[in-house]
Amino acid sequence: MPKILIPTALRQFTAQKDSVEVSGATVGDALTQLTSQYPEIKKNLFNDQGKLRSFVNVYVNDEDIRYLDKDSTALKGDETISIVPSIAGGATTLASAEPATLTNEEAARYSRHIMLPEVGVEGQLKLKQAKVALIGAGGLGAPVGLYLAAAGVGRIGMVDFDVVDASNLQRQVIHGTKDLGRKKLDSAADRIRDINPNVRVDKFETGLTSENALEILKDYDVVVDGTDNFPTRYLVNDACVLLKKPNVYGSIFRFEGQATVFAYEDGPCYRCLYPEPPPPGLVPSCAEGGVLGILPGLIGVVQATETVKIILGIGETLKNRLLLYNALDMRFRELRLRKDRNCPVCGQHPTVKKLIDYQEFCGLRPTAQKPAADAAVDALQLKEKFDRGDDFVLLDVREPYEYQIARIPGSILIPLGDLPKNLQQLDPDADIVAHCKSGVRSQKAVDLLKQNGFTSVRNMTGGILAWSDKVDPTVPKY
Amino acid sequence: MLEIETHPWQAIVLHAERTYPKECCGAMLGHAQGSKKVVTEAVPLANSFLGEQGTRYELRPEDLLAADKAARARGLDLIGIFHSHPDCDAYFSETDLKNSCPWYSFVVVSIKNGAFDHANSFLPDADQTRAEREELICQKS
Repeated sequence: MPKILIPTALRQFTAQKDSVEVSGATVGDALTQLTSQYPEIKKNLFNDQGKLRSFVNVYVNDEDIRYLDKDSTALKGDETISIVPSIAGGATTLASAEPATLTNEEAARYSRHIMLPEVGVEGQLKLKQAKVALIGAGGLGAPVGLYLAAAGVGRIGMVDFDVVDASNLQRQVIHGTKDLGRKKLDSAADRIRDINPNVRVDKFETGLTSENALEILKDYDVVVDGTDNFPTRYLVNDACVLLKKPNVYGSIFRFEGQATVFAYEDGPCYRCLYPEPPPPGLVPSCAEGGVLGILPGLIGVVQATETVKIILGIGETLKNRLLLYNALDMRFRELRLRKDRNCPVCGQHPTVKKLIDYQEFCGLRPTAQKPAADAAVDALQLKEKFDRGDDFVLLDVREPYEYQIARIPGSILIPLGDLPKNLQQLDPDADIVAHCKSGVRSQKAVDLLKQNGFTSVRNMTGGILAWSDKVDPTVPKY
Repeated sequence: MLEIETHPWQAIVLHAERTYPKECCGAMLGHAQGSKKVVTEAVPLANSFLGEQGTRYELRPEDLLAADKAARARGLDLIGIFHSHPDCDAYFSETDLKNSCPWYSFVVVSIKNGAFDHANSFLPDADQTRAEREELICQKS
């Protein structure tokens, strides 16, 4: 005779028997017999309508009857019938896990997606349930945010702590002139809501740090890197590898851009491509070197496309390929990428198992032998020197085009790159103050001059930006 | 009352910490005498939730069936289910309740920053409308 195994908790209703033998030609008959023999067990297995409760699964030997003939599954007589509950759960409330459907408004909004066989309703639901983290709401973040919102990505987390500045508007098209001075997060979220009110925007008004990165990124399915500096790029990479999240990468400089997908499936990560950061200052940022405003639009749209493909699971992503784009000659090239088996973070024997200090890793943490505070001059001290009529040289090490935009009267211009071959223009014993836009390049000039025997060289902290802020607001900021 | 012996308790905490930041899950085997239940073995099972497992878990019924068989083969009973809440307190969430079953004790383990924080045990009702907390005795070492 078939026997029904009784779960521990129900044995109180079966006189402590752990199995009950039943007759019956089908599973339905067998269960009816069990409940008529032990009526109290009935309410545990069936609801008021006489249907099996939602969490109850019935197995005949090792087969779920849902995949056999359900209640009518035939019994020969030697079967073991098991009652197995469905169990699931989790820390979230059910609200965020309700079965997804598209509303009529969404079905209309996304109709051009839904008619693509590669997307369909199923794909659109994947987009709706997807959570994408966007690091930076700047040049790359702008097009990525706009298009992911329009495409119907359900949740977009944005990490940024900047405010909208006039110099952003030439490329950061998610912000408008009316947004000047607003937090980029607020401005971007408003624009996203305007495009698609169905999108939930999570705002993280902070820099991404080793302390908060895992906590912020752990809830997202895909991470889009729209950062403009090496420490954060390595941080995003390592966090994505540790969390096993795809990192959709893009970078831009002047007229050239790159994009790929890191840490996806078994593909390479950023450290496989660049194990070590470049020496500080070697690669200028867009703020220092400039960028064609349209360039982040193109690279960002490539990142948005790859993100959507990853969510939908369609096509061939840029995994293992670095896409190189040059706007001046309008050419795309590709470099083959390979996972480095010895990569310190994603290789076979990783040595980086938690997030590290990325400022230090990129050589940007000030070290002890840096010049003492009295070896620097700030904007106000520089003004005092002018006012006192000190005999000194103000050396501007910026590029000529920057000098055209704004200058401090009385300065002489020798761009940092030209300095080594123009040392003879300067008196090694003169009192020299070097300045640039913000104080980074001029510090390098100071170091260079000191190495060449200059005795009295000081850096102006804060650069011409500080001069405009604190001394002469008629000097334009750029 | 649910008592978890030292060995299975260590296994549960270890599994939860290793699975962090995802949720872990598993079965608890032992024996029941009236309302007192003693767990003598913990069986880690796969989290089969298709999606972000940081805040969800799902047990495959086949795995539970196998755990039940293993228990019976050793003269033990399947008496409970455990799962973890990474960086979250050990409460019985709405999701836990709506996917529960009244036949077992449900132990929720809170793991914060990768380390065990606290745990609670719950007994959900048949209609999945409420879960009562039950006394939990676990042997920390």
